[in-house]
Amino acid sequence: MLFAVASLAVAVSMLFALIRALAGPSVFDRILAVNMFGTKTVLLIAIAGFFMGRPEFLDIALAYALINFIGTIAVMKFFRYRTLGLPRGGEDLGDL
Amino acid sequence: MHDHIILRVITKLLMPFIFLFALYVQFHGDYGPGGGFQAGVIFATGLILYALIFGLRSAKKVTPPRVLRVQLALGVLLYAGVGVVGIMSGAEYLNYDVLAEDAHSGQHLGILLVELGVGLTVSAAMTLIFFLFAGQEQ
Repeated sequence: MLFAVASLAVAVSMLFALIRALAGPSVFDRILAVNMFGTKTVLLIAIAGFFMGRPEFLDIALAYALINFIGTIAVMKFFRYRTLGLPRGGEDLGDL
Repeated sequence: MHDHIILRVITKLLMPFIFLFALYVQFHGDYGPGGGFQAGVIFATGLILYALIFGLRSAKKVTPPRVLRVQLALGVLLYAGVGVVGIMSGAEYLNYDVLAEDAHSGQHLGILLVELGVGLTVSAAMTLIFFLFAGQEQ
């Protein structure tokens, strides 16, 4: 019961973050809202794990927190520098 | 990204834990959520974070693309090799039972090696994909 109420509250706050991400006037509002949405997803996964009696969901929450952090950095870097790898030409260009 | 000291310090602090978590997901995959693919992606995530903060050139010094290409092939070779060992021992392709004395430890060894092959290939592939995209001219 406690976990159900908590996950419902997190879901409602996720909805607010989503509204801000859709409505946000500037790109930084959107990035902040998406980052917050990701953080709340981590919380929701953790709560849902205990709610369903499977605490090993914490591993998934940890991985999600990691990806969320790096994804936010990547998006911010892309909007700030318009590139992800700071290519200078020559050997720095794509190589496969 | 030379003037972002917070990002640089946090990245240096976080990277060992990302790699540790990747290894945990890799080798704990038979007891909890995880496995080779997920571990490979998390491992590549650490390298991608390094490339994002310190630039593509330094990241290519840490993991040169030719090493990654060898790693890419090595993982598939390990996967296929486990299967061929099964054929050599007189069973079907990818039959783990014949890898050790009793079937149970053979299955344990087989799934460990196969997942290791998947992890190697996926981490190399994800890192190479990022290098390719990040190295594109605008």
